[in-house]
Parts: sequence; C-alpha cells; structure tokens
Amino acid sequence: MLYDVQIDRLPCFALFDLKGPATDLAAWADVLPAFAKPANTLTRQNGVDLCFTGPDRWILRADIAREDALIAALRPEKAPPEISITRVSDTLTFFRITGPDAAQVMSIGCPLDLHDSAFGPDAVSYSEFFGLKALVMRCEGGFDCAVEQSFGDMVADYLSRATA
Amino acid sequence: MPSNRMDTGGRIDRDRPLNFTFNGRRLQGFAGDTLASALLANRVRLTARSFKYHRPRGIIGAGVEEPSTLVELLGDDASGNRPATTVPLRDGLIAKSVNCWPSPGFDLGAINQLIGRFIPAGFYYKTFKWPGWHLYEPTIRKAAGLAAAPAAPPEQGHFENRFAHCDLLIAGAGPAGLMAASTAGRAGLRVMIADEATEAGGSLLNRRLTIGGTPALGWVKAVVDELATLPNVTHLQNATVWAYREHNYLMVNERAPDNPSLLERNWRVRAGQVICATGAIERMLVFGNNDRPGVMLASAAQTYVNRYGVRPGQRAVVFTNNNSAYAVAADLTAAGITVAAIIDSRTDVPEEARTLVEDVDVLAGHVVTGARGARQVRGVTIAPVDGGASRQITCDLLAHSGGWNPAVHLWSQSRGNLRYDDTLTSFLPDQAAQDATSVGATNGQMTLADALGSGARAGADAAGITMPDIPTSADLIYAVTPLWRVEQGRDKAFLDIQNDVTVDDVHLALREGYDNVEHVKRYTTGGMGIDQGKTGNINIIGTVAMQQGAPLEELGTTTFRSPYTPVSFGAIGGLREDSVVLPYRHTPLTAWNIKNGAFMYESGARWRRPGYFPQPGESFQETVNRECRIVRNGVGVYDGSPLGTFEFKGRDVGRFLDHIYTNIMSTLKPGHGRYGLMLSDDGLIIDDGVALRLSEHRWIVSTSTGHADAMNSHFEELLQTQFPDWNVFVTTVTSQWNNATICGPLARDVMQALGTDIDISPAALPFMGFADGHVAGIPARLVRVSFTGELSFEVNVAPRHLPALWDKIMTAGAPFGIAPIGSEANHVLRVEKGFLSLGHEVDGTVDPYDLGLGWAMSKKKTDYLGKHAVAIRRSGTTNRRELVGILPEPDQMIPEGAPLTPGGERKPTEGLVTACVYSTVHDRWVGLALLENGHSRHGETVRARLKDKVIAARVTPPIHYDAAGERLRS
Repeated sequence: MLYDVQIDRLPCFALFDLKGPATDLAAWADVLPAFAKPANTLTRQNGVDLCFTGPDRWILRADIAREDALIAALRPEKAPPEISITRVSDTLTFFRITGPDAAQVMSIGCPLDLHDSAFGPDAVSYSEFFGLKALVMRCEGGFDCAVEQSFGDMVADYLSRATA
Repeated sequence: MPSNRMDTGGRIDRDRPLNFTFNGRRLQGFAGDTLASALLANRVRLTARSFKYHRPRGIIGAGVEEPSTLVELLGDDASGNRPATTVPLRDGLIAKSVNCWPSPGFDLGAINQLIGRFIPAGFYYKTFKWPGWHLYEPTIRKAAGLAAAPAAPPEQGHFENRFAHCDLLIAGAGPAGLMAASTAGRAGLRVMIADEATEAGGSLLNRRLTIGGTPALGWVKAVVDELATLPNVTHLQNATVWAYREHNYLMVNERAPDNPSLLERNWRVRAGQVICATGAIERMLVFGNNDRPGVMLASAAQTYVNRYGVRPGQRAVVFTNNNSAYAVAADLTAAGITVAAIIDSRTDVPEEARTLVEDVDVLAGHVVTGARGARQVRGVTIAPVDGGASRQITCDLLAHSGGWNPAVHLWSQSRGNLRYDDTLTSFLPDQAAQDATSVGATNGQMTLADALGSGARAGADAAGITMPDIPTSADLIYAVTPLWRVEQGRDKAFLDIQNDVTVDDVHLALREGYDNVEHVKRYTTGGMGIDQGKTGNINIIGTVAMQQGAPLEELGTTTFRSPYTPVSFGAIGGLREDSVVLPYRHTPLTAWNIKNGAFMYESGARWRRPGYFPQPGESFQETVNRECRIVRNGVGVYDGSPLGTFEFKGRDVGRFLDHIYTNIMSTLKPGHGRYGLMLSDDGLIIDDGVALRLSEHRWIVSTSTGHADAMNSHFEELLQTQFPDWNVFVTTVTSQWNNATICGPLARDVMQALGTDIDISPAALPFMGFADGHVAGIPARLVRVSFTGELSFEVNVAPRHLPALWDKIMTAGAPFGIAPIGSEANHVLRVEKGFLSLGHEVDGTVDPYDLGLGWAMSKKKTDYLGKHAVAIRRSGTTNRRELVGILPEPDQMIPEGAPLTPGGERKPTEGLVTACVYSTVHDRWVGLALLENGHSRHGETVRARLKDKVIAARVTPPIHYDAAGERLRS
C-alpha cells in the first residue's frame, strides 16, 4: 500500500435520523447529548454522537449494542408530530480511514476541505465520496466516512484501487 | 557520431547517459535532457513532417509552445502527439515522428507539397460535401497522420484524481510565481504553487541572470528549499494548471507524482485567490519558409545552450524586432556558436541591446525575406525592411523572435478581459472576472526586477501584509516594434506551424468574407488543436489587422480554451475505470445470488440484481419459463430490497399525500395500505407505489426502484418551495427495510413453515394489509402487496437480518419446491397481469386514463398535482395512446419498442409495443402496447412494422391473467 493508511469497513452503528426543532427533540428525549450550536458540528456524550447536519436535521450515532436501549429511550413510534425520529442504523456503511496519509486518501474521493483549519475535530458534514452522498466526520487519527449501505461494496472497491 | 553537445554547462547529468530510440535509430542523451534536446545534441534536425503539406520540420521551441515536433511514444510510455520538447528523456524511451510515412526523411505524404496550391484553407469544406463529410473523414484523418491513442491501457500503475483547497493558487514557478509563493507562504497562507516544467525557475532556467548579485538559479534553489519547509505550502513541479473554471476551481495535471503507483494525478483545486504567473511565449516572425528545420525561436536556442548544453547549430543568424534576441545572441556566442549577424527590423536599435553583442554584425532596418534549404536551413536571404537589394547569409541556425506574448490562456479561461498594449504589441490581462490577478510577464512586466516586484506585491496583497524587500536584479529593458509579417518573398510564410496555416490562407479567408477573428480561426484552423494559439495567435490577428487596416484592439482575440496543454484522458478519469466505471449498488443478498449462479445485471438506479438463475443445460428462455411456472404453480422468492421506501412523519402528511397522489390517502386507517399514482404538474404519470399508514402521523411510502431518488427530490422540492409551513418530515429508509418477497399459491404455506407471530390469514392480513411482528424469529414488517399477480408476502427486515431470513426461507420453502426468481421472470409475470412498469408503459406521455387507471383519479378531491393538466389535455380532440394487450399472430415475439403502423405500412405510427413475453400460463407470446384509441379497439388486428418484416397482433384487454384478481387477494 503506497499510502500510509489503514482502511476499515466498520460494523453497523446504531443510527437515528432526527428532524425537528432542537428544543422539541431535547424535550422528548433526555438521552441526547447537548445540541451543537454551530451547524456541521457534533457533540458527544456517553458514547453517543449527535451530528448537526442541517437545519432541524440531526444524526445520532452510537454503538450498535445500544440500539435497543436507544429505541426504548427515543420511542420513535410515539414521538409527537413536531419531531421525527427514525431508526436508520442499516442505511449507512461507515469506512474508517486512519494513518498519516488519511487526508490524502480522503481527498481522492471527497471534495470537502478537510484541512484542520476548515474541518475541526468536532466537524461533521454531508458531502460526497466518490460521487456519492456521504457523511464525513473526524475520528482519532483520521476520518469516518459513511455512504448509503448499498454502495458499500463499490466504495470499498474504489478505496482498494486508490491505495493499490 | 558527431555531437552538438557542449563539454560543459547545462542542467544535465553527464554521468548518467540514457539510451533511447527515435524513428528506429538508437541514440544517447543524458539525465535532464528532453527528447528534443537529446535529438539536437545528436544532430537530428529533421524531426517531423507538417500536418497538411508534409513539409520537413525540425524543432522550433523548447517547451510547451513547440508547434512542430509531435511524437508518438511507444512501449511503456505509450501516448500520442507529445511535443518532443516536453518529453523528459529516460532510458529505453522509444519515440517516432507523426505526420509521416514511412519516415520524416522519406515521406510519401510529401506529394501534398506539389498540389499545395489546390488545397488551401477551407478546401475540404467546399470539396467533401457530397454525399457527406464523414465519407472522407477517415481517409483524411489517416493522411493527416496524427498518432492514434494507445491500443491498451498501461500495464502498471493507475491515474488519480484528487480534490484540494488552498487560500492561494499560483500558476507558474518562475521568478514572479516563486516570489509570490514565498511572500504568501511566509505569511501563513495555504499556498499551492504548480509549474509545468520539471524544475522551478521558469525563464531563469534558460537565461544567464543574477539576483542579489549571484546567479539567479541560486536564488531559485533557496526559495524552493524554503517552500519545502513550510507545511502550509504545496509545491508541484511537472504539473500544469490546465483549466480555470467558475468559482476559482482549477485543474492541475501532475505528470510525475511522488507515489510510484501513480501514472499521473489530476488535482481539482478550489482556491480562494489565484495568481497567474504563467510567463510569456515568444512569437514567431513571419517570412518565407519560416518553418524549415533549423529555424528556431530565439529563446529556444538560448534554452538549448544554457539549460541543456546543446548547440542547436554552428553558425547562426538572429532575426528580431525586439531587444530580447540580443541576450540570445550573446548566449549563443558564449556557447561557441558563430553569430553571423543580427537582422533587426527596427531602424533604431537601443544601445543597451547592442552593447551585449559588440562583436556581432547588427543589420538594423533589415528583415529576413526567406530561409534557404529544404531539409535543413542552409542560409537566409535578407533585405532592407522597406525594400531594396537582397543578399544571402550562410547559416545552419536561424534564431528568430517576433516579441513576446503574455501567456494569458488561464486568465482568458477565467473569463477575465484582455486589453491590447501598444508598447508590448500584445494582449494583456485587464479586468478580472474572478478573484485572480496576474504577475510578471503574464502581466506585461517583462524584466526580472518587475517580475519579482509584481510577484511580491501580489503575494503580499493576498496575505494582507506589507510588501517585502525585493532582491536586486539586472535585466535588459524590453522594447519591441511590431513586425506582423515580412511582405517580400514568394515562399509560404506560416502563421500557425502546427496547423499549417499560412499568410495566404488568412488572406483567402478574408476574401471570402470571414473577417472576424473567430471566423478566420474556424476557416483556417489557425490557433486550434494542441497549439491553442501559443505561437501563432497574435500573428494571425496582426495579419488580419494589416489586411483590414484596423487596429488590433478592435479585432480582439479568439477564445482560449482548456486544456492549456494536452491532458491524458486517464488523468481526467482518475480511478474511474474497470469495475467502478459506473456506480453500482448491492443488496445484502448479492453474494448469495452470485454464489448460486445468478446472471447479474443492473436493473435501475444502479442496482445489480439477479436477472435469472440458470440451471445446467438451461437456455435463457427455459430458465425464465421455469421460474414463472414456479411462481404461478408453487412458490418463489425474490429479493425486493431496492424498492424505494420513505418514512413520512407529521401532522400534515395526509394532506401532503393527497396532493401528490391522484387518489385519497388521508382516509386510510392505521394498519392499512393503498396503491396510488403520482403525476407531474403537467399531468403525466411519474411514479406509482403503495402508502402504508403506520399511525396517525407516521406513514411508509414506497416508490419504484428506478425513481426513488427522483421522487425523494420531488417530495423535498414540494415541501421546501410550496408547502414550507406544512408539518411533514421525509426520511429515506430504502436501505433500512430490505425485503424478501415470497410469492405463489403456496406462499402462505411457506410463511407458516417459517413461523411468525403475525396472523397471516386472509381475514387478518388481507391484500394491501400489513403488520409488524416476527418472521422466523426476526423482527419484520409483513406487507400483503403483489407485483406478480399471485398471493405474496413481502417480508421486510433490517438489512443486517436479510441473509439470515433468506436462508431460513430457502430451508422452510424447500419442501414446497421454493426457488429464487430473477427480474426476467418478474417482468413476465407483471406483463401477464397487465401491471404497468415505468420505462415501459409509463413512458412520459401517458396519464392514468390511458392506462385504464381512471379509477385512481379522485373525483372527491378538489385538487391534486396534475389534476387540471389531465383535464385540460383530455378536453382536446387529440387521439390518446391507450394501454392494450396484444397477442402476436402468428405466435412469435415482437421486440419491445416496435412501432405499430396502420396496416404495417410506412406511415406515422399509431402506437408501440411496450412489452412482449412468453407466457407459460397461455403457452404463447403475449404483450402490452400503447395504441391510439386502444380501449375501443379490442379485437382488432394491428401490425408491428419491423425493419425486415411486419407482424400482426390481435388487440385484447391488457390483463392476460386473473383479471378478477382472485389469486393475489387469496
């Protein structure tokens, strides 16, 4: 491998798509981390990431082992109409790209400016990865990048070619 | 072998000889050479033939401006039409000339020189019109002789595309660019500097100048070394900024990335600011036979002696209209070349120029009227500029300079304006269209001091800091008097060497009324192709101006287009080749499908799905027939994962669905589903699907697989533009709910064998009903919908559970003879049932009434999307194409899309066949068609008109199977 990176296709996360005003979401579910103020940033609390991805739009991420507990806490089917909580754990496939050349490999597929000065440690954003809609965030030593699950094999194919 | 190589000097490594082959001759050069410098060192003067006339040609330039010697590289370097001046020499390089056969020395195409007067510019536009240009094009292309694309991709390595961002992109690492980079880099800006040459320095590599009292290349090295220490600076060499797009988006082609697995890399750079430091390109003088081998740009001759230690000739004549050629003459003399004379068209030569060459004879007020020699220049004819007696001077090198054209290509691509400068007699950057500026020679600052100063100023301005100190430098003042052409002499005088465009060609274009420079370009091809007007553009404009008596500023320039220099298709495509040339999507069952012998292909929205599961010895049709019989008579299962699925949430979902569907959805009770159609605002069907009401405010909406993304955009556009206050949230859950659909009369038996806590009796779970629970112990949503016309259970589970569910279905279904079925069988089954399919019956022209689905058009709702458009359209008298069934007579297949014409005659069509399949139920071919007034034509015979025959078909109702729908409701 000529880029000094490690690429891992991560197992499924517990993911929830949250929509609605932050105040209503916070009032409904007290398990949520504090809502980030700046757009395209995330907050973390007790192993749960809350990603602010757009106006009144959030992605909650946690280990898959916590999925049932989060469903119980979030009660998607009972949530009031002012908010929407949808389990989307299976919809995204995450790739973790770490190592000294992680940013270089990311730059092959992602048009986002991932420089430290533009994409800080708590940054998160939808962007593209090899032409696909992708959720991009930092992780220790690199980046997590998620694409629609059905494109997972294709992105793995791309990454294999990029680092061959 | 005699050599033109100097014993010392140049930036080559004489300890590293490199062997190469040119036109079959084995030759040797050194590391640091280009193919061109190595050829000149080996005294190879005749290196090419011209594009059209096949005139003998040599090397004219020393860089990207080279218009003449294009070569084809073979072997590992395989590529076509590369200027020899830009090909770094390497051991084992194999190159051959283009535009000639069998060789530049003996070229059969040279016969064109004898008929040259019959093939002026534009002759092919007039000559090859009948029966059509494309009849002649292949032969003419072959005769032109440019190299073909390599037959196969490189065996090793790959191309890469990557994105980059910077505060400041600097195009060019000459003195101005380096100064700007150094200034902005020290100030902390994120700087990217890219330069087309293999090493930094720009013109300083070719000239003998000083900065700060020491050789300028020492300053270059110091700056480059400093840039390498700045983590905020990315410095690329052998990397051309080849395109300038909108919003400061630029393309950089890096030809030798430091990653050994890469062939080339293309950078897509989004820059905050851009500095164009692209230098200037010397223009040719226009005189008779100015294309002979040995006639060379003066700056190129200077480059060969100073940078490559090569004497391009032994006895030179320098022809100029400006000061810069005097420094060239001085350098040629210093290199041991005899400069027989400097021919200067100006009557007054500045003293500072003369003092550089005190021992050389300067003939002011003279011009070269023509070059002598065919395969190599052997002398020149000179005469006073205003006419008079001519005389000849013997030489083997004619170094000429018509002045300098700022390289405004990138600036022009950015849509920045150009202005004509009388002093420089060329076009300069004027008003910027984007956040860009130009510096150095690009901006008309032609001396080294001005270049350094302008670079520093631009770098400081970009960083918002004060101007740094500028090192001292000495350079000859640039002064030029335009000489657009030498009017004496009868030989061909070329304006565009690469495209073989002469002064006479431009005159012809003007005579024929093509008097705009853009029209002249198209008529003559001057400035087109690889050259993009680098050496000839301004001379063409000058020639037009002379002929029309108009000032150049009124004529303007032609458009400079990207790429500035040729770029490999591979570099543009990057990784996107082979298996990833097109996007593809897999379901969790893809591996199972492949393992079990499925024939896979894309079937909409990039999903790769199993088309059919052939068994040993089966033909395609036998396989599809078997799979159909399994579903009609027993039980089959298919992977329905790609179905578009959305969760809707909110207080206003009901009325939103009432708006987008033709029928009423808001009256649905929780736990029930309803099929519906969606129309565009012009009343045509855009999709169909099922809406399930989970609870008061939660719904699941399914769309067709192929239109899922488009429908998502449709929903969001409506909500964000027309109903921003409505309380509706839409979440895509296509990949959260995958399904295995069990279908066939034995489907309920298989469900019971699987085990479920859901009551699946017809009463508890009727057609269009759904329920949440467990199937085979897996959390599932069971939906009673059918796309095959049979009893069906759509078992929806999370994708992570689908492989396990599938295995359990295959196990539980084995006693019932269950088998997987593919898209082909599904297609047959839905055609038998008369179900519509987007892309077939829904072809962008039909409304629900046309398809016999008028029942789905609500009469109760006052409005919904497309309602009025349908009403308006149907209030007219135009015949509608309506869905019918067809039975081919005699029994045979009719291709999909076959036109139906009255009587099968060559007349306007009255419809088309949308599908035709072999029905195992009826043991014959059945089909669907859209036919004018089809609903009232059941029983008629229509005819499909094919290329070689006409096939009759009887018109029937569109439902060929279970018209009452008893089976799917069972």
